[in-house]
Amino acid sequence: MEEVFLLHPEGGPVAEKWIFGFDELGKEANDLVGKKCANLGELTKIGLSVPPGFAISVDGYRRFMEETGAGEEIKRYVKQELGEIKNVTQEQEASKVIRGIIERKEMPLKMQEELISHYRKLCVRLQKSDIPVAVRSSGAVSMPGQMETYLNVRGPQDVIKKVIQVWGSAFTARAIAFRFQQGLSIDWAPIGVAILKMVNAKCAGIILTVIPTTGDTSKIIIEGNWGLGESVVGGEITPDSFIVDKDTLEIERAVAEKTKMVVYNHKGTTIVDIPEEKKKLSSLTDEEIKEIVRISKQIETHYGVPQDIEYVIDLDLPFPENLFFVQARPAKSVKKKESDADYLIDLMTRLFK
Amino acid sequence: MKLYDVVPGLEFMEEEDLNQSPAWFLDGTHSIPPWTPMFGWFWINFCRHGMQYGAETLSLPTVKGWDWRFKDGGGYLCLLLVDSDKEKAEREKKFREAIRPFVENYDGLWGGYVKEMLKRYDHLKTLDLDAATNLQLLENFEETIDTCRRMWEIHMHMMYGTYTPYVLFEQLCKQMLNIDDTHPTFHKLVSGFDNESFRVDRKLWEFSVKVKDMGLQGLFAETPSKDLKAKLEGSDKGKQFLREFNEFLDKDAGWRMERMAEINVPTWKEDPAPGFETIKIFLKKGGGFDLDEDRKKNERERKEAEKEVLAKIAPEQRGWFSMLMKVAQNCSLFSEEHNHYLDLYTHALIRRSCMGLGMRFAKLGAIHHPEDIFFLIPDEVRKAGINPDKFNLKPLVERRKKEWEQWCRQGNPPAIMKEGFTLEQAVGGLVQSMDPIALKVVVGSMPAVKTELNADLYGTCGSPGVAEGIARVVFKDEDLTQIQKGDILVSATTSPAWTPVFGLISGVVVDRGASLSHAAIVGREYGIPVVMNVFTGSQMIKSGQRIRVDANMGAVYILDK
Repeated sequence: MEEVFLLHPEGGPVAEKWIFGFDELGKEANDLVGKKCANLGELTKIGLSVPPGFAISVDGYRRFMEETGAGEEIKRYVKQELGEIKNVTQEQEASKVIRGIIERKEMPLKMQEELISHYRKLCVRLQKSDIPVAVRSSGAVSMPGQMETYLNVRGPQDVIKKVIQVWGSAFTARAIAFRFQQGLSIDWAPIGVAILKMVNAKCAGIILTVIPTTGDTSKIIIEGNWGLGESVVGGEITPDSFIVDKDTLEIERAVAEKTKMVVYNHKGTTIVDIPEEKKKLSSLTDEEIKEIVRISKQIETHYGVPQDIEYVIDLDLPFPENLFFVQARPAKSVKKKESDADYLIDLMTRLFK
Repeated sequence: MKLYDVVPGLEFMEEEDLNQSPAWFLDGTHSIPPWTPMFGWFWINFCRHGMQYGAETLSLPTVKGWDWRFKDGGGYLCLLLVDSDKEKAEREKKFREAIRPFVENYDGLWGGYVKEMLKRYDHLKTLDLDAATNLQLLENFEETIDTCRRMWEIHMHMMYGTYTPYVLFEQLCKQMLNIDDTHPTFHKLVSGFDNESFRVDRKLWEFSVKVKDMGLQGLFAETPSKDLKAKLEGSDKGKQFLREFNEFLDKDAGWRMERMAEINVPTWKEDPAPGFETIKIFLKKGGGFDLDEDRKKNERERKEAEKEVLAKIAPEQRGWFSMLMKVAQNCSLFSEEHNHYLDLYTHALIRRSCMGLGMRFAKLGAIHHPEDIFFLIPDEVRKAGINPDKFNLKPLVERRKKEWEQWCRQGNPPAIMKEGFTLEQAVGGLVQSMDPIALKVVVGSMPAVKTELNADLYGTCGSPGVAEGIARVVFKDEDLTQIQKGDILVSATTSPAWTPVFGLISGVVVDRGASLSHAAIVGREYGIPVVMNVFTGSQMIKSGQRIRVDANMGAVYILDK
């Protein structure tokens, strides 16, 4: 959610291949497919299961922009109509115009065919037609900004549409403001896209292989709730918390009374009440906790620094195939909330100019 | 005998001061009518210090606070601007860090300050003024001076820190949603909060119920407030009521006065008459405590407005926008609540300490009456502090008093400017500073004269709506009892102690104010129209005239002239 665009230079030849399986990728592919996809590739490479899916590289963005003429149109608009950006209204206006240009374009037929073929292959592999997928942005540079993610996307046409919209979301008002402030070009913002099977989440959450408050690296902390991981990441509820000693595997449990969880609905996600009988139940079994700890230690060893990992447990599959990892990155003590505060402080500072 | 300066070092000196700044503005909100010398000394010294302290600790990029001068009982101010771009850039860096607690930990910050002040107040109050030695009285006075200084530091650190995001919120509402600070939705967003002033009013309403329950309603109706205390002491029931009422004054409400920025009127604890006035107003009005219902309604409306507004904001922007909204709401809340915890309470304790000394000075012959102490300044108090029997300050008091009476008769000009300098230029300078307090309190927005409306007075909207009723021009607390249901309150400015009449009136016209003034905030809570910044309303409108206020248009019509 934090990365925005790839520092991929303009010009030069566009590669033929623009869709990749995660098993073809690794962390070195960061500039090609963005951080999220490269990360999923890296996880796959070290033998972890990630939700089935595929990645669209930055060359997909480039081909689309070149073949449809959207790239030229955006350049023209930025050069001729958009002056110096002074306030939020102008950022929003620019965002509206540019995203409009992108979203009004049809994807070139050849690209459509390739994309549909990969989506169909995924359906076949999972033995279900029109399998619901998540279409996520995958940029390379972190900044306090958010890009779109589309959930529960079904069928080839919808997948095509949402991929285009994710490309457009490299031009949110905040992304534009960020690039403007950094002196980066406004009209060129290639990003990658990840397309992943929607997991039917029994429960989900985050893992930190260091205790953030004390810096203690001898323990792992797992936080979880019923449903999707958003409720845990967002910090609005008190999740279950398990602190596990990396050596002795001793578990220190704090099972919370959980009232709300996030689930998929037809549009995206929604918050619902947790059924009474599940409120006070632990969202993870001991068996699952031990498996999570085992693999988390593996991830930490692989990267060499404490990790911040997101996991999800699928309802449809038996243990241990039901455990997926969707994200792993170096653990930071900064929380997501602070990026909003930072942006707000930026705006307040600009008030005096 | 030489008559000393009232505020040594900070008296207005035309030639020097106009060279420093070509325009000085009168603080009309606080220094009309003119201050007594003692209070002027406190205000000029420490409000000035507090503003520079606040601007410095927050490292505001464009302004270093305000400079103040004392002239004939009036406070005159100008801004201290940051001149070089290099300095601005340096201040900006520090500002980013200094403003962060206001975004992330407002409750902790304000709560800590309130605790600190209450602790100081409690300590000041422990001294028994009658039993204290001269030395102890003097020590209490010095501690009061220190407390006042600290109060203004906290006051202005908080005020700059909360008004800055408020100004941003206002601007963004205009830019992103096309609603300005006079728009009903905007008002809904910043209304519907409980605060300390309202809690005191609620208690007073409970006492009005008690009056009825105890069968004292008749006594309240027929006795003037100033005689009520004596009357109540005449019966057992009355005594019981007084006992409970005094306890309440001691604990919650005794430390407020009718005028917020002066110390020459009694506190409620000394003279509970204004409290009785409020109880009478509640008795006259009958029914429940209207704010309870209003607040629930406002709270509901606020939440709806929040939803409505957030729905118009792009999802990716909602995080920081709702964070900003929360900070702006805290600002509105602080604006109302700080009156109680900071200004009123500190000023009441300055009065207490001064009166302790005044009584001792009068008893030992340094001055005639205890209140004469307000015509001295701290250096003169120190002169006679330990041995009041050895000094005669009477001639000094007499000359100062004469001078003060002269100030009151002549009044002070709204601005003092260098020759050839216009008011527009001066106001332009204020706006350019981006000083959030100058914008929200001193300048506000200047009323636009819309001749097509053919109104008698033009102002700005503090709270939206339209009302018609009998004008009631109010200068002092005593005038409040004249108010009948449906009247329109007209005054120079309103004080927190006046809140209860807002449930009775249908509209407000005030001479000066901006969207964070008391009248605007309370008007919004009660949902009645408030027109502000009309400048001459309290002079032009006469009590009893029928008037119409259209706050949305910022217009006031006098219907029978």
